[in-house]
Order: sequence, then C-alpha cells, then structure tokens
Amino acid sequence: MIATVFPLVGRRLLASVLILLIVSALLFFVLHVLPVDPAAMSLPPSATIAEIEAMRREMGLDLPLPRQYLIWLSQVLQGDFGSSIHFRRDVLGLVGSALPATIELALLSMIVATVLGIFGGLMLFHVRGSRMEPIVDFGSILLLSIPEFLWSLFFILIFGVALQWLPFTGRLDPDLRLPQGTGFLLVDALVAGRFDIFWSAMRHMVLPCFALGIAFSPTIMRVLRSSLLDVYQEDYIHLARLRGLSEWRILRRHALKNAILPTLSLMGVQFGFLFGGTLLVEVIFSYPGLGNLMVDAVRNADLPIIQAVGLAYCAVVLVINTVVDSLYLVLNPKLRIR
Amino acid sequence: MLIASDLAVSAALANGAVPVIQDLNFSLAPGRVLGLVGESGAGKSMIGRAVAQLLPSGFSVTRGELLFDGQDLVRMPLDKRRELLGREIAFVPQEPLSGLNPVLTVGRQIDEHLARLAVGDARTRRARALVMLDAVHLPRGAELLGKYPHQLSGGMCQRVLIAMAFASRPKLLVADEPTTALDVTIQARIVQLIAEMQRHDGTSVIFITHDLRLAAQICDDILVLYAGRPAERGPARRVFSQPAHPYTRCLQLSNPAMSGPRRGLYALPERMPGLSALKTIQGCLFAPRCPSAVGACARALPPFTEVDDGHIAACIRITATAEISVPAPAAANAPKTGTPLLAVEGLSKTFRTARGFFRHDVVAAVRGVSFTLHENEFVGIVGESGSGKSTLARMLCGLDAPSQGTIVIAGRDVSDGSSRSNAHRRAHVQMVFQDPQSALNPRRRVASIVTQALEATGKVDWEERLARAKALLSEIGMPPEAAQRFPAQLSGGQRQRVNIARALCVAPNILVADEIVSGLDVSVQAQLLDLLMWLRRARAFSMLFISHDLSVVRYLCDRVLVMYRGEVVESGPTIQVFATPRHPYTRALLAAMPPDDLSAAWPPQSLEIEAAPLAGKAVEADA
Amino acid sequence: MTRAPPAWLRSARVISGLTIVLLIVLCAALAPLIAPHDPNEQNLVATFLPPAWAKGGDPAFPFGTDSLGRDVLSRLIFGARVAMLVAVLASLGAMLIGAVLAYVAGYFGGRIDALIGRAVDVWMSFPPVILSLILMVGLGVGLRNVILAIILVDWTRFCRVLRGEVLVVARKDYVAAARLLGFSHWRAITREIVPASLPLLITLVSLEMGIDVIVEAILSFVGLSVSAETPAWGQMIADARQYIYDSPWNLIFPILAIFFAVFGFNMLGDGLRRTLDVRLTATQRV
Repeated sequence: MIATVFPLVGRRLLASVLILLIVSALLFFVLHVLPVDPAAMSLPPSATIAEIEAMRREMGLDLPLPRQYLIWLSQVLQGDFGSSIHFRRDVLGLVGSALPATIELALLSMIVATVLGIFGGLMLFHVRGSRMEPIVDFGSILLLSIPEFLWSLFFILIFGVALQWLPFTGRLDPDLRLPQGTGFLLVDALVAGRFDIFWSAMRHMVLPCFALGIAFSPTIMRVLRSSLLDVYQEDYIHLARLRGLSEWRILRRHALKNAILPTLSLMGVQFGFLFGGTLLVEVIFSYPGLGNLMVDAVRNADLPIIQAVGLAYCAVVLVINTVVDSLYLVLNPKLRIR
Repeated sequence: MLIASDLAVSAALANGAVPVIQDLNFSLAPGRVLGLVGESGAGKSMIGRAVAQLLPSGFSVTRGELLFDGQDLVRMPLDKRRELLGREIAFVPQEPLSGLNPVLTVGRQIDEHLARLAVGDARTRRARALVMLDAVHLPRGAELLGKYPHQLSGGMCQRVLIAMAFASRPKLLVADEPTTALDVTIQARIVQLIAEMQRHDGTSVIFITHDLRLAAQICDDILVLYAGRPAERGPARRVFSQPAHPYTRCLQLSNPAMSGPRRGLYALPERMPGLSALKTIQGCLFAPRCPSAVGACARALPPFTEVDDGHIAACIRITATAEISVPAPAAANAPKTGTPLLAVEGLSKTFRTARGFFRHDVVAAVRGVSFTLHENEFVGIVGESGSGKSTLARMLCGLDAPSQGTIVIAGRDVSDGSSRSNAHRRAHVQMVFQDPQSALNPRRRVASIVTQALEATGKVDWEERLARAKALLSEIGMPPEAAQRFPAQLSGGQRQRVNIARALCVAPNILVADEIVSGLDVSVQAQLLDLLMWLRRARAFSMLFISHDLSVVRYLCDRVLVMYRGEVVESGPTIQVFATPRHPYTRALLAAMPPDDLSAAWPPQSLEIEAAPLAGKAVEADA
Repeated sequence: MTRAPPAWLRSARVISGLTIVLLIVLCAALAPLIAPHDPNEQNLVATFLPPAWAKGGDPAFPFGTDSLGRDVLSRLIFGARVAMLVAVLASLGAMLIGAVLAYVAGYFGGRIDALIGRAVDVWMSFPPVILSLILMVGLGVGLRNVILAIILVDWTRFCRVLRGEVLVVARKDYVAAARLLGFSHWRAITREIVPASLPLLITLVSLEMGIDVIVEAILSFVGLSVSAETPAWGQMIADARQYIYDSPWNLIFPILAIFFAVFGFNMLGDGLRRTLDVRLTATQRV
C-alpha cells in the first residue's frame, strides 16, 4: 500500500511546490502595483527626496519587476523574507511565532468541524423520510447561513459578556507566561508539565474553535448525508441486505466507507477555507496568530509581511490538500490500484 | 421448497393502490429450476424482491402467502427472515460489477460472509474461500482474494458473487437476470456454472430472465408474466414448443430465429400497460395487443385453464394460439454491385492512456480494418464489448480521428479531417446512437430534435421545421402530435424512432447504427427491426448495423463482419457465415447463443475462446 | 386560461427566500425614503441608546444609537445598499468569468482544460478571505474595488463546479449528434450545453450572493471595503465591538441583518436546487 501511495503523493507534493512558486510570483506582482512607496515608508517623514531615491535604489525598487521578483525569490529561498517596515523586525521571526498559534487553532477547529459534521450528517441521514426531516434540514440551512465571524460575536456576547464563563481575548491568562518551545502552546505546556497553562490555553481556545468548527460543519453534514443517500442506492448495499447483514453493519462496514470518500474530498476544500477563516476569528478574539499579523500589516501597508504571510497561508493550504488527497488515496482503491 | 399461493403485491400511487403482482401461484420443488419470463415492467423482479421482503417503498404484499419450507416469508418477523437470508436463501444480482463493494477486497467481502455463516477462524475461512473460488473455476484464488472489484471483469465478479451465494449450500437461489449485463460467451459460461452448482448442492432456483429461449434451455418450468399476472405456466419444453397463451407465442415469434430460413418477426403493437394504465383495463390485460382477442376478452380477467398436466394458461381462446403466425418478410432491394459507397482501408485507432508522468500505455482499439459497403446494402458488425466496433463507428462518422488508414465515402477520401471533408461526410453519413436517453436532448421537443439538421444551417423558420418534423414522424410510424412532446414523455421504442428520424432528416446514403436495439424488450425490438426493413425499401440507403446480438444481425443484414480484439476475423454473406463459421471466435460466439432447437445440449461443454477482456493488447511504451 | 405557476415558484423555500431577499433589496432601493434619520447624523448627547422597547429607549431611534449617537436602524437600511450592490454585481461578474472558462474547459477538454484547471488550482490554494484582503491592498478601498476583488476571487467557485457539469453534458451523445448534423462549436455550446447547465448556474448565483454578503462584511469589518462615510454592516460590527460592554445591542442588529440576508439567499438557492432538479455532486457543494 505504501509503495503504491508514495509516488502518487510525491507527485502531488511536486505539483504543490510548482503552485507555490506561481503563487509567490502572483503575490509579488499584485503587491508591487501598489500606490504606496515602501522606500518612503521605511524612512522617517523628514527624509528628503534624494534620500528616498537613494533608499529606492538600495532596496532595488528601480529595477524592472521580474528582476526584482527573482532577487526577492532567491532571498526567500535562503530564508530571508526581509524585515518588516512597520515593526522593524525580521519577517521570518514574526511569521514563525504567529504560524504555530494559527495552526493550533485551525487544527482544533477542524477536529470540532469533523466531529460535528459527521454526527450531524449521520443524524440528517437517520431522519430521512421521517417527519423530522424538513425540520432538521431547515436547521442545517440555518447553520449554513451563519459564518464563523458571526458565531464568534455570538459566543462573545453570550459566554463572554453575558454569562462570563469563558475568556475571549488572547491565548493565555495575562498572569501566565508563554513557555518556550515549539510555539504550539498546548504541546509546550504539556512538555513543560504546566497544566495550569494548558488549562488556561484550552479555555481560551474553546470559543474560537467552536465558532470555526460550527461554521464549517453544516457543509460536511449535508455532503455526508447526500453521499450516504447515494451509496444506499447501490447494488452492493441491496445485496448485503439480501445476504442478511444487519442495518448497523451495512452502515458501518459498507456504506460509511464509501460515503466518506466524497465527504473527504469536500473536507479538503473546506479546511482550506477554514484556515482562511481563522483570520477574522483571530482578529475578533485578539488571538496572536497570522490573521492579526496580516491585518496589522495590511493597515500599515507592510509589504514584506503581507507577502510572507500570504505565502504562509498558501503553503499551509497546500499541505492540508496534500494530506487530504493522500488520505483519499489510501481509502479509495480505485485511484490507488489500476 | 417455495410455494406462492395467491400472492398479490400492490403499489400505492396517488390515485390508490395498483396491483403490481396478482394471482401468483407456483410451487418450486427441491432441486428444480423455475424460470420467470417477461418483458420489463412485467413484475418479475418484484417477485424476487418479495422473497426477501425488500420491496421498494410504497410497495407491499396485500394478499396471499409465500411459503418457504412451510414458513410464510411475508409475515415472518424481520430477525427470523434475516437469519434465512444468505444462509438458506441466496441471491445473484443482475449487475455483477456493482454488486461488490468497491472499497473492500474480494477476500474481505467473502470473509465477512463466511464469518456470518460462522465458518471457523480466519485461517479456516481463508482456506474455505480458496475452495469456493476454485469451485466457480476462478484461477489463482489466493491472488484474487487481495484484489478489488474494479480490477475484475464482469464475469469474474459474477463468479465471485455466485461463489458467495453457494457458500452456505442454500436451499433456494434467486438469480435476477444474472447474465443480462454480460457478453454472450460469458453468459453461457455463467449459466453453465449456476446449473453445475445447483445440481451439486440440490438447490432450487428461481431464474428471472427476459429471454424465453434461454429460459427454455435451462429451466424445468417456466412462468410467463404479463403486466404482473401470470399468463402461462408449465414445463419449460412444452411452454416453448407449444405455447398456449398468445403472449408467449408472440414473444417467441418476435425473436429472430438463429437457424433455418429467415422468417418474419411478429411485432406486437403498442406496449405493456404501465402502472397507472393497469387500473383502466377491465378484462384480460393482454387483450388490447392480442392478435386473437375477441369481444369477451375485454370483459373479465380470464381464468387459468389447464391445457395439459401442469401446464396452465390464462386465456379463453387457447386453441387459437397455434394459429398466430407471421408472413414471410417482403424482399428487400438487392444491394448494388460496382463501386462501393464506402470503402475503408487499413483503419486503425490507438489510444494512449497515461501511466505516471513519463509513461503511457498504447491500446489499439481497432487494428487494420478494411471493408466496403455498397449502395442499398446492410452490413452487420458483431463482436463483444471491447472488440472495437463502437470505435470503428465513431471513426466512420468523424467523432474520432483514425490513427491510420483511409475512409473513402462516395469517391472522396475523408480521412484528412478537413472541414470540407467533414461537410462531405456529413452529407452522406449519419449516426444513430445507442442510448436514446443520452442521444436526445431532454430539453428539446421532438420536432426540434428531428429537424436539428435544419437548425444547423440557421436559415429555416419554425413553421417549415414543424412541417418537416411531422412528415418525418409519419414516416417512422409516430403520430404528428408527438412533435410537441419531450423525450421524457415517450416510451423507449418511440425514443429510438425519434433517434432514427433525426439521422434520416438529412437523407444520408449511409446510416451507422450502434447497438440501437439492445436494451429494448423483444416486442419493441421487433417493431424497430420492422421499421428498419420498411425504411430500407422506402428510402434505399445503406446501413452499418453494429450489434452484439447475432440473431438480430442475421435477420437484418446481407453481410456480416465479425470483430475480435480490434480486428475483423471473419466476414461474408450473413447466411453463409452463420451456417458455416470458419474462425474459432465466430464458432464460439454462435455456440454461446441458446439455439431454437431444444434437443441439442446447451450450453456446449467447452467454449473455444474466452471473450476478449480488453480492447486490443496493452503495449507499454515510453513517451 | 390561467397557467399554473412553475414548480420553482411553488416551493416554500423559494418563496420564503425570495421574500427575505426582496425585502432587503427594497430597503436598499428605497433607503432615503424609509430611513428615519440620516445615517451619518451624529447626536452626541444621545449615544448608546438602547432599542425603543428596552428601558431608557427613545421611540425616535427604534433600534437605538451607536457610539456617536447615529441611528442604528437608518444605518442598517443604508448598509443594505452596499450589501445588495456587492451581492448582485460581484456574483454576476464571478459567474460570467467562471462560466465562460468552465464551458471552454469542459467542452474542448485537452490542454485548454488542463490550463484552466491549473489556474483554478493556484487560486484555490489561497483561502478566499486572504486573497481578497491582498487584492484589496493592491486595488485600494472603494465599492468598485470590493466588487472587483470578490469577482477575481470567486470565479473559481463557478468554474470548478460548472466544469464538472459541462464535462458530463458534453459527453452526452446528443452533443455529438448535434456536431454530426453540422452544428458549429459555438452553436453546440449555446444550444445544447448552456441550457442543460442553466439550473445549476442559477442555483450557484443565488448561493454566491449569500457568500458575497459575508465577504463584504468581513472586508468592511477590517476596514478594507467602502470608505468610512458609507454605512456598511461590517463596519457597524467593528464599531460596536469596541463597546461590547456598553451596548451589546449595537452588535446584535448588524449581525442579525447579515444573518437574514445570507439565510434568504441560502433558502432561495436550496429551494431552486431542489425544484430545478440540480444534482450537485458532493464536492460541488462548497
């Protein structure tokens, strides 16, 4: 199995790298038609025109765009993403500290979305043809209409402001210090044996994770339901009944294994969107991740950061897609074995 | 073993319950084979489903009982019935490829079944699985257990399913059209296999089929169904050789003969009443189409009359049945000799299928095919799936570009694919597609479909098109009102007529027809074949008739080409090829067809060639 | 003779969705007539008024006032203008680009299909929110640019879904038959393929409008949509969030406005999908 999956995954990865290259070029060109002048912005307002011109030359801004891109690319490949115009810090360090926080948030949210989606899908499927169906179906459209940032605000209003059960700003209680390590807070806390930090971090994650998870679960539910409905039309399900298998066994062993395939390929796309959805959720919960870094950079027209963060988002989405595709290959023998 | 007494199944429709099955009585003794024969919609599959009580929603048994070993399957609690299913009662499905779960290996599916039958531990079960695969003549069992269904052919899947069905040595087997989806040579082998297993285990079999000839060959008894009601029941040989019910007789006569002189076909008018029409018929359900119907037939349901010992028929004019006959077919215009209308020389088509980044396979679908078609000539192309006959048709019409070879139509070589060649080709050649479901745009009305050729010019107004459409419709035997209908409102036979009419609109010299009567009921098939014969006389065109059904080609065509793995292995006048086949593949094909003559042993013990698994031979090549 | 209304107009989902959407469109169109106040009129002595029915509410400000004493109801009504304008124009624009590319890709197949497919892959590797943010940085704020940014991001949704459908239809024998009867490629696409995919297209546009409302709200929430003088729902949320303890009402109303707009479009889309018998396969439903 590994021998057959590996080359296919390898090919996917190669394609991902190519896509990332194209994306980086697109990003670079979109951001360099900007009306703002990075040279002027990186100097104090008192700088003279001559000084700005000198800075432009130093930054290579007088060169043709493709040249500029190649120079930038070669620097990026050496790990040099430049330095932030606004923060005056190394971009790689800024992105490096924000990325784990966002990945942690996104991963937990995906788990929430998957669990809710699968249970919801099974429930939607279970009530098919009954009087409950229109009600449950209506409910799923209702859920579908509430995007993650509305959930975030709802949760803040209810659990943060009205009930005051859970915190809704930042990653940790203010009196706790971030432990050193991978940047993945939950992992670091466990490694350091600091259960108080772990607990506090968990409490801070509950609202944003559920906001994201609930927002992305209804599509999973609906797809799982309709894939199950499709699978139950198939001859092999009918034949399994004729062989005397119980309904539970048919669902578990025959139907779910097939219905999960379309659901999985949808989840790949959905999780890409979910990862983008973290941006707004982070802003709303003042969560120190890529999203907040991005929005700050956008407000300050901080090009090096926007570029790096944009690339980081794409890279993670491509990783998610590759993982989901590999899983799909493992589960679908038709693609794996010809 | 299985006794149906007075069984009735009803469907709940908007305007009340409609009987889908009524007055069903039969008793199946241990070790016997009962054939349920009828056209689509006759309710034969419903009986199979009633045995398992897995009826579609809205359908239910309203009367009677179905006794299995003395226990009523209908009123048995679910748990108890589930105990019987897969152990005492087994099923073989119509579509073997979709009958196995695509994400589980064959081994795991067999193992699951054996585990339910409580066959020992994992190792015992595996050993048992190997024995089972061996019993259904599947070689390399150990390797097969690790394979997924999509790696197997239809025939192999069906063998696996048969192996699983017989794993518990069931008392009853329900086989629902188990060979319909398979090629003829494989069909013969599967039938042979079921018979072998059935004899070995002493299993009773319900064999559901639309093919009366096949049923007569392999069943002990036959029950012919019409619109959900038994028309005739009796010993297979008697029902086939001396049918008592006019419907059985008509069915038999609408099938082209495989031997003897070419006889005409009996084309039953109209079609079987659908569910909603059933309620409006007062008397005998078959009376509206029956050639020997009299006034009394339309007044009351005919009672079952015993013709002979164990042979009954639901007809009040049994004696008239033997008089039903068909006239000999009118002589067709003889093909012209001289310069052929179509000349194909060394035609080949290879497909490339990607295999990884830098490698691909080259598959030859058609290899060096040469033939000619004269004016007024009907040429049949026969072969099994994957023999390249459809690819050949697509190349002739210009839907696929040939890899090699020339196509000369009416004196002009059109194989260069230039736009002038294509225009020339379009004026001479038109195609009738296999599946009217896909070939007719569901959003167009019939009038718009049949006159689409006029739309292409963009200069003809609607009035003119409508007039032309009505003329075409009358030519193909459809009422002018049909012009305003959508394809979904037509029956299968009518759709295929519209399909033909569209191609005829440009008055082509050559019609390429790809499997246009397959998948249709025999009575509808007979109507269409009649229409083609009539059009041949009226219109004087040539036709390439592609079919897997040898009997249809024998009826319709002057000459025949036999294709096997992309090559023409034999060709000649139809009668001659069928009477004295020379190539072993042609012989195998002919031997696989159930003959009209019941005295010959069928299926033959050895078929010379196993059918082609793939189009051509895959050749690995570097890019 | 009265003709029965078409099936899609008899579905409860379509009717309720359409009602909500039309109501909001009407609000947007007639905003100057029905809004009780100028949406930008500040009233610094009456800030953070609760809704009229709550304690301390003022009937002159039915939904209360915000941090600058502006009337929340009037701002909601004017905010509908931006939301609806973006929803309609952006979804139609995205549909146009996406559909044309999908027809070309699905019908001709081969290299052009592969090329368009790769372009979609590149686009899909960007989370839509991130891509629209970056585009807004490049384009600068303003209503026109918001619409443009959304079109440039969301054409892929149409292209991806429609391409699959076109691929299925283009393989039907009736398309081959049309070609054999002398139809040009253009005629084959417009007469045979477009009509078959129209129900899917209509459904997708309806769902896309809901998405566009959300995207516009997100962009105006982070201050990258219309300029500050134009009231927009996202902006109202961003303002209210800073005073979440002072006046939770200010947050609730724009949230509800967005929710109802999106819900309306989703109901409409779902109803159309069912009645027009669009069979969205699993992966198309995103």
